[in-house]
Amino acid sequence: MSATRNPTDWKSDAMRRRIARRYAAERRFKLAGLLAVGISAAFLAFLLFTMIGNGVRGFTRTEIAVKIDFPASPLLLDPNAITDQALANANLPMVTGEVVKKALGADAEEWVSPTAWTVLRDRIKADPKILSRTETIDLPAATTIDLAAKSKGSPEAEAAVDRLTKAGLLDTGFNWSFLSASDGTDPTQVGIWGAFKGSLLTMLVTLALSFPVGVATAVYLEEYARKNWMTDIIEVSINNLAAVPSIIFGLLGLSIFLNFLHLPRSAALVGGMTLALMTMPVIVIAGRNAIKSVPPSIRDAALGVGASPVQVVFHHVLPLALPGILTGTIIGMARALGETAPLLMIGMRAFIATPPGGITDPATVLPVQIFLWSDEVSKGFVEKTSAAIIVLLVFLLAMNGLAIYLRNKFERRW
Amino acid sequence: MTGPATLLLLAGLGAIAWVSARARAMRLQTAARASGRRDAVHSLPGYHGWYVALWTLVPAGIFLAVWANVAPGLITQDVLNSPAAHSLPADDFSRSAILGEARAIATGAQAGAFNPLSQGLVEPYEAAIGKYGMAGAALALVLAFAGGAYAFTRVRPDFRARTRVERLVMATLLIASLLAIITTLGIVASLLWESFRFFSMVSPIDFLFGAKWSPQSAALGYGNDNAFGAVPLFWGTIFIGAIIAMVVAIPLGLMSAIYLTQYASPTVRKWMKPILEVLAGVPTVVYGYFAALTVAPALRDFAVKIGIHGASSESALAAGLVMGVMIIPFVSSMADDSIAAVPQSMRDGSLAMGATTSETISRVLIPAALPGVVGGVLLAVSRAIGETMIVVMAAGLAANLTLNPFASVTTVTTQIVQLLTGDQEFDSAKTLAAFALGLVLFIVTLLLNIVALRVVKKYREAYE
Repeated sequence: MSATRNPTDWKSDAMRRRIARRYAAERRFKLAGLLAVGISAAFLAFLLFTMIGNGVRGFTRTEIAVKIDFPASPLLLDPNAITDQALANANLPMVTGEVVKKALGADAEEWVSPTAWTVLRDRIKADPKILSRTETIDLPAATTIDLAAKSKGSPEAEAAVDRLTKAGLLDTGFNWSFLSASDGTDPTQVGIWGAFKGSLLTMLVTLALSFPVGVATAVYLEEYARKNWMTDIIEVSINNLAAVPSIIFGLLGLSIFLNFLHLPRSAALVGGMTLALMTMPVIVIAGRNAIKSVPPSIRDAALGVGASPVQVVFHHVLPLALPGILTGTIIGMARALGETAPLLMIGMRAFIATPPGGITDPATVLPVQIFLWSDEVSKGFVEKTSAAIIVLLVFLLAMNGLAIYLRNKFERRW
Repeated sequence: MTGPATLLLLAGLGAIAWVSARARAMRLQTAARASGRRDAVHSLPGYHGWYVALWTLVPAGIFLAVWANVAPGLITQDVLNSPAAHSLPADDFSRSAILGEARAIATGAQAGAFNPLSQGLVEPYEAAIGKYGMAGAALALVLAFAGGAYAFTRVRPDFRARTRVERLVMATLLIASLLAIITTLGIVASLLWESFRFFSMVSPIDFLFGAKWSPQSAALGYGNDNAFGAVPLFWGTIFIGAIIAMVVAIPLGLMSAIYLTQYASPTVRKWMKPILEVLAGVPTVVYGYFAALTVAPALRDFAVKIGIHGASSESALAAGLVMGVMIIPFVSSMADDSIAAVPQSMRDGSLAMGATTSETISRVLIPAALPGVVGGVLLAVSRAIGETMIVVMAAGLAANLTLNPFASVTTVTTQIVQLLTGDQEFDSAKTLAAFALGLVLFIVTLLLNIVALRVVKKYREAYE
């Protein structure tokens, strides 16, 4: 081998072209990376934008002011004897249609919501004296009018909205009943309170079961367990459970809790138990990491002044590891809150129009409510679904934000 | 006595036991110290309190738990022996229906009787429930007193209360950790049991290799022979979860990870990382709704415009695309970890030789990090094929063996939901098929996870 190779001519045209090409490739690669990040972020923005765009309208409701002359109406009610039975016998749906026709014209019956009579009922119940005078009552508009007033509707609905607006009878306001009502068949009257309460009860059961068990497991495995075949099996089981598809937990809940133990179907209790099995591995893994990060010197010091192994853990290690455990718990609970598939398996997709009173009552949860509404044919449910999604996302972001805050506040470097 | 009242009473007894035992231990401690024998007291007073409280509560609690399962049988026996039960019909089904109704009225869960016979049984039921409720509560209280008294006599300066209490704490911890095994066993057992029942009706060969899936026709009585061929479902699952979703998620996730770790400024990284993580935190039902409401119609219009035949409003592409986006954070964080694990010296060496950053990344970092990246992708695939809500809402129900991404396909998870929702009896092949599908899904995701974790682990050791 002779060392006669000429030195590289960095200034030659070929070399310059080569370097220019390599730099161009470098820029392209960097741009591709930026593009990938940008596309992911843009998708998130688009998703949030679509949901908010569709959903904010779900928080408002169009109401039509209807002047009702109660004495002249076909209501056969005695103001001094208003009972539930009397109200039920008064045929309010028909009467409401009549008074609306009288006030607004022959085709106006279609303009108010088919469940508008419940507003009338509640007003009469609250103040029976109303029956002896003329009163203007805001009745919720039908879905077609509601949609036409907020954005675009059918030509007839648009014409009706024009007429009502000119007469000053149309009013769009915050839809309080969306927060206080439960599931229903009429999109103008449905709300999320029932599903929200169901979610709350389910989460309580999940937390009450998965937190103590998860922390106890983490403490045992990290602090006391001797390395043998049994702890190996426990560890493998936990890691596997963390990666099992959620619908499999639904199958487990269905065949064991419902078919074998005969626990009540559709109840928050069973939903919470199913989700607890799913959340527990998350808490165990987070808890073990948190306990592992507590330095051994603290244990040694406590042991050195005569504490027992149990005292070391419960007086010293756990308090120091608690922020980490809590962060993991919040993240696990956020995942459980957004979970739908296992709850479908145990029957939480039933139509439930009253909020659950306890953990054994039939209930539904927010994500399942979203799923149920997304299946509805009526157009008015689109904005309700998106509005419910906004509520769910707000809760999830709040929980994740709290987890990040806790992590930043209590993060400790030893 | 009612259940809650008994529990409340027990809790009160436990509290009294704790306070009195602790007070006695404190007096003993003071006495021992006063006599100058400081080391004569083994445990702190609190431990004596816990010891006695546990002896008060645990045996009584165990008894109550057993009693709650034994008592209903005894109550029913009592009611059947009562004179009112002689007029009950002989066949088991209507008999248990009447008994159930009478019990519901007696406990206040139901207001009135549909069957006149059950009205007559309400009184015997109320009497029996009252009788056994009283008996259970009385026995539990006796046990609590006996346990508490026995433990209280053992409160002495040299008694090792702490050791005893801590032994119980350790046992509780061990039992808690066994719950993971029990859950796993429960999953495997329930899936295996129901699948076994399914395979006694439908041959496993037909199930695994048949190409025709129409459980509805089987339920209507057209024969079970060839209606449960799951191959179209397996194909749909792979097509959506392992092909389309990965085509979206791998390039976007990998390039995002590369950009954020190698190029981005700290400020950009600080903001973009959590934003990408939000994608993983969005509930899948939201993705599903988005896919069904926005993405799928847009894709169908697009397909119709470019003249693709058989475009459906529930397409494999819509579900796969959205699922791919959902998976991006998993791929990117796994890739992030494995790239960060490549030693800095390798990167520096490559840069010192004059390679550009992109050449270093694609020829040094990525090959070195490849096992980790592959492991991450396998985990992502396992998550994608187990994902339910997106495919339920956006992928459709038609079992098609098609390569056309604009056509409707169905997946394993969609069919599980489809088969198990609504009213159904649990001995038909149609509902049991869901458990067989669940078993397949469980095994496949388990294998993917095991392989992925092994690949990642093996690679991590290479640089240490």
